[in-house]
Amino acid sequence: MSTHTYKKFENAGSGDLPDRMTIYQDCMSEFNESPVNPKRCRLLISRLLRLLAEGETFPENEATALFFSISKLFQHPNDSLRQSVYLAIKALSSISEDVLMATSSIMKDVQNGSDLVKPNAIRALTTVLDESTAFSAERLLKSAVVNKHPSISSAALTSSYHLLPIAEATAKRFVNETQEAVMDLKPFPHRNVVGDYYPNSTFITQYHALGLLYQLKKSDKMALLKLIRQFSDNNTLKSQLAKVGLVKLVSELVTRDAQLFSSFQPLLNNWLSNKYESVQLETAKLITNFAIQHPHLVSAELHASAVTTLQSLLTVPRVSARFAALRILNRVSMVSPEKIVVCNPELESLINDPNRNISTYAITTLLKTGTESNISSLISTITKFIHEVSDDFKIIIVDAIRTLSINFPQEWMAILNFLIDVLKNGEGGLKFKNNIVEALIDMVSFVPQAKDLALENLCDFIEDCEFNEILVRILHLLGKEGPSTATPSLYVRHIYNRVVLENSIIRSAAVVALSKFALTKNDPTLGESIVSLLRRIANDQDDEVRDRATIALKFIESAKKEENPEAREFVQSRYSYDLPSLESKLSSYISSNADSFQTPFDVTNIRKYTEDEAKAIELKKKQEQLLKGHLENGSESTPGLEEGSKGEKRDSSYAGPSLDEHQEDLRSTKYAEELLSMEQIKEFGPLVNSSRTIDLTDPEAEFVVRGVKHLFNNHAVLQFNITNTLTDIALDNVTVTCTPENPSESSLEELFSLSIDRLSPSQEAACYVAYNKSEEIVMEGFLNNLTFTTRELDPETQQPLDDTEGFQDEFDIDSIFLNAGDYIKSSFVGDFTNAFDELPNEEVAVYNIKENITLQELVDRLVVNTSCLPLESTQYAPSDSSSHTVKLFGKSALKGEKIALVVKLIKTSKGIAMKAQGRSEDATLCSYLVNGLM
Amino acid sequence: MTDLSLYSVQAILILDGSGNRVYANYYRPPHQPEEQLSVLSQSVKKQKEFEKQLFAKTHKHDSEILIFEDHLVLYKEYLDVTLYLIGSIEENEMVLQLAFTAFKDSLDLILNSGIDKKNIQEHYDTVLLAIDETIDHGVILETDPAAIASRVTKPPVNEPQISLDLDKGLLGAWGFAKSRLQEKLQQGI
Repeated sequence: MSTHTYKKFENAGSGDLPDRMTIYQDCMSEFNESPVNPKRCRLLISRLLRLLAEGETFPENEATALFFSISKLFQHPNDSLRQSVYLAIKALSSISEDVLMATSSIMKDVQNGSDLVKPNAIRALTTVLDESTAFSAERLLKSAVVNKHPSISSAALTSSYHLLPIAEATAKRFVNETQEAVMDLKPFPHRNVVGDYYPNSTFITQYHALGLLYQLKKSDKMALLKLIRQFSDNNTLKSQLAKVGLVKLVSELVTRDAQLFSSFQPLLNNWLSNKYESVQLETAKLITNFAIQHPHLVSAELHASAVTTLQSLLTVPRVSARFAALRILNRVSMVSPEKIVVCNPELESLINDPNRNISTYAITTLLKTGTESNISSLISTITKFIHEVSDDFKIIIVDAIRTLSINFPQEWMAILNFLIDVLKNGEGGLKFKNNIVEALIDMVSFVPQAKDLALENLCDFIEDCEFNEILVRILHLLGKEGPSTATPSLYVRHIYNRVVLENSIIRSAAVVALSKFALTKNDPTLGESIVSLLRRIANDQDDEVRDRATIALKFIESAKKEENPEAREFVQSRYSYDLPSLESKLSSYISSNADSFQTPFDVTNIRKYTEDEAKAIELKKKQEQLLKGHLENGSESTPGLEEGSKGEKRDSSYAGPSLDEHQEDLRSTKYAEELLSMEQIKEFGPLVNSSRTIDLTDPEAEFVVRGVKHLFNNHAVLQFNITNTLTDIALDNVTVTCTPENPSESSLEELFSLSIDRLSPSQEAACYVAYNKSEEIVMEGFLNNLTFTTRELDPETQQPLDDTEGFQDEFDIDSIFLNAGDYIKSSFVGDFTNAFDELPNEEVAVYNIKENITLQELVDRLVVNTSCLPLESTQYAPSDSSSHTVKLFGKSALKGEKIALVVKLIKTSKGIAMKAQGRSEDATLCSYLVNGLM
Repeated sequence: MTDLSLYSVQAILILDGSGNRVYANYYRPPHQPEEQLSVLSQSVKKQKEFEKQLFAKTHKHDSEILIFEDHLVLYKEYLDVTLYLIGSIEENEMVLQLAFTAFKDSLDLILNSGIDKKNIQEHYDTVLLAIDETIDHGVILETDPAAIASRVTKPPVNEPQISLDLDKGLLGAWGFAKSRLQEKLQQGI
C-alpha cells in the first residue's frame, strides 16, 4: 500500500474505510503495542465497529484474536478508551470464542471503575457470561441494582433481564432489591457531571425494574395483582415508560382472566386522562381491544371515554400520536364502526393530512363508519382527490370501496359510478386497475341491480386495456354472466372485437367466452351467428385458438342436435369443483402414481358447487374476512406502503382468503377424505354434508375433543377428533359412547363405532360412531362420554412402562346435536324479498330468549345454527338499536330445496324476543328449522 | 397480544442519501435460543434488502412514521442521512417515539455541527457510544438526550511528548538564539 493511501486512512475524517484485512492488521499491531496509544486505539476500534456495522464479519479465529488483543487494552486506565473497549467486546462476543477470559477484567471494573464506565462494564458483562458462570455475577449485580446512580442501577437491571433465559434463578435472588428499585426514585447526581450536559432525571430505572419484576413473577397472578395495586398509586411511578408498562401489565392480566376487568375499570378511566399521551394511548388500546373480545364486560361509558381520548389525540400536532390514535380507531371501526361515528369530523379533517399514511387511514376508517346517509357524499369527496394520490393509496381506497359495495348494496349507483370513473380516467398500473376490476366483478356477482351497467362498462374498458391478465379475466366474466342478461348480443360484439384485434392469449380466452353464448335462451338467433363466428376463427393462425374454436364448435353442435347434457355441460358448466380439495387430490394422485397413471383420476369424490352455492361460499368468506381477517391476520398494514410484500397477499386474498380459512377448508376436506377412505363408511355412498368442527371441550382441557357431523343419504356419522395434550401419558382403546337424549324415541340406530387403539402424547386421532337413518330429516341430541385406559410412559423411550397396568377412566364431553341446520347448505340469491315471497310453505315461530347476550351474538349464533347465508348485510346487528332483522338463505343438502328465513329480533330489558318466519319448498325442513333455531 | 417485554426496539439504522448503510444494528436479545430470533437479525442479505425497500418508501416522503413489513418504523430525514428506529408492530408508538427522539436529539447534542453523513463518519466512535447508551440489545436504556450525551466520552487527546531535560533545553535554546543572532548580524553587515 502506498504511503499516500495509508495517510488517507490516518485521517479520522475520511469517509472511506480501509479493507477488512488492513483494519485487522492495524488493530492487531496497535493493540499489542506498549505503551498503548489511547487515541489511536479508539479510532481503530471505531473503524472495526464500522466495518462490522456495514455487514462485514470476521472468521472465528480472527475474531478471537481481535477479542484477545482488545482485552489487553484494559491495562490502560483512560475512561474514554474503556467505553470503546466495551463496545467492541459487546460486538465481538457473538462471533469469537473464549469470551469468558475477559470476565475478570470486566468484573474488576464493575467493582472499582468510575461511575462513568461502571454501567458499560455491567452491560458488557452479560455478553461474556454463559450458563455455567452467570451465577458468579450475582453479588455484583445485586449491589449495582441498589446503587443510587440511575445509570448503574438501570444497567444492572437490564443485564439481569438479558440473563433471564440462562440464569433466572440468579435474578430471583434479588427480587426484593428489584422491587425497591421500582419504588426508589433515583435522580442523576448533579454534583459530578462529567461533560457539558445537564441530564434530566427520567427515572427510567423504574421501567427496567418493572420489566424485570414482571418476568420474575409472571406465573403468579396474585403477585402481579399486588404489583398493580402497589404501583398504580399516582405518585409511585414517575417514569413514563414504566407507566406504559403498568398498563400493559393490566392488559396481560385481563387477557388471562377477563373477569378481572371490571375491578380495573376505575383505574383505567383514570389513566385515560393521564398527562402522558403514551399512557392514554396504551389504555385506550387496552379498552378497545378488550371490548372486541368481550363486548359485554366493558361498560359503554368507559368505551365512550376511550374513544373521546383517541378523538382528542387526533388533533394533536405530533404525527405519531395522531397515527397511533388512528390505528386504534381503524381497528375499532372494523368491528363496531357505530362507536366511533363521533370522530367523523376529526377524521374528515385528517383526509388532507400531509402524512399520507394518516390520510389513508382516515379515509378507510371513514368508509367503515359511513352510514347509508353519508356514503354518497363521502364518495364524492374521495372522487375529488383520488387522482392526486399515488398508486398504493388508490389501491387501498378502491379496496375499501369494494367492501362498501358488499355492505351497502343499496348504494350501488354511487359506488359503481366511482369505480367506473377511476377505471376510465385514472392513471395507474396493473395492480391498481386489477383491483378496480376485482371490485366490479364483486359487484356483478353480488349486486344484481348493478350487473348490466357494470358489464357494459367493462366491455368499454377492454376496448383499450393494455393488460392481458385483466382482459382475460373480464372475458371470462362476460362469458359467465353475459348469456343470462337481457341483451347478450351486445357482449358478443365486444368479445368478437377482441378476436379480431388482440394477441393469441386473449383470442383464446375470447373464443371460450363466445362459445358460452351459443346456447343462451334469451336470444335464440344468436346461436347461428356464434357458430359462424367460430367457424371463421377456426382458421386462425394460432393453434391454441384454432383448437379451442374447433372443440367449441363440436360441443355446440352435439349439444344442439342430440340435447346431449354432457356437451351442454362443457359449453356452459353449471358446477364448479371445490378447488382446494381438487388440488390436494390431484397432487396426491400425481405423487402416489401407483400404477403409472393407468387408473384415471376420480373426480366424483370432490365436492361440486352450483353457481349459487359457490357465490354463497365466496360471500361468506368475504363477510368473515371483513370481521376477523383484518384483526387477526396482522393485515393491519400502513395503507399502501406494503406493495412489495402485501401485493402478493392481496392477490391471493380473493382466490382463497386468509391462510387460516384456507387451512380450515383443507381440514374439513381432510376429515372428509379420512372418513371416505374407511371401508365401512365407503358403503354409505356419497357424503351429503359435513358440519363445521365443533369444540366439545375446553380448549385447555387435558384431552381436546372436536366433533364433526357427517351426513349421508341413509346414514349419519359422528366424528370425534381427540388430541392428547399430556406429555407423559398415552391413551389406549379410546372410544366415544354416544347415548341419544331420548333413547326411547330415537329413530337412529347405531351401526358401529370405531375406536383408537393408542393415542400417544400430543397426537390427534379420530373416533367414529355411525348411525343408520331414514331418508327423512332426523334430529337428535347425543350425550357423549370419552372412555379410555391411561398408560404412563417412560419419558426416555416413550414406551409404556411395563409394570403399570393402566387404569380405566372416563371424561365427559359436551353433547352434540344433529339439528336442522346440518341439512342445509348456505346459498346465495340476488333478490331476497322476491325469492322469499315465491316459496310456498310458511312456518312461523316465536322465541323469548332470557340469556344475557347482545343482538350481535344472537345473530352470530343464528347464522351458525342454521348454516344459512345472511344476505343484504343483515349479519351485523347495530349496537345502537334494540331491534334487528336477519335475512337468511340456504338450500337443503339432501334434495336442494330452497329455504329462506326472516328473523326479527327485539331486545328488551327482559331478554330478546325473536320471531322467525321461514319459507321453503320443503315443509318439513322448514318447520324443523324454524322450530329448532335455539 | 400486548407484550410486556422490554425488548421493544428491533433495529437502529442510519442510511445515507442514496440508501447505503452508514450504521445498522439489528438487535438480538443475548442468550436467546437461535430459533426465537427474527429472520432479519440473522441474515445480512435480508437486512440489506429490507433497507433498500425501506429507503425507497421513505426517501423524500416526510411522514415520520409508518408501518413497513410488519414493523413500526420511525424516521427522520436529514440532508444526506436518514435516521431510522424500527420496533415491533404492537409496541406503543409514543414509547418508540420517545426512544427515537432520544436517539436523534442526543446525536444532535454530541455532533456539534449538526447531523450529516460526514460528521457521523468523522465522529463514528461517539455516535456509536450514544446509540449504545440509548438502546441496549433492544431495551430502551435512557430517553433524556442530555443524560445520554453526558455519558458519552470524547475521544482521548494525544498526550504531548514533553522532554524533561531542562538543562539541555535551556542551553540549546541559548545556543540556537546565539547562532541566529550571529547570522542576522553578519547578514546585516
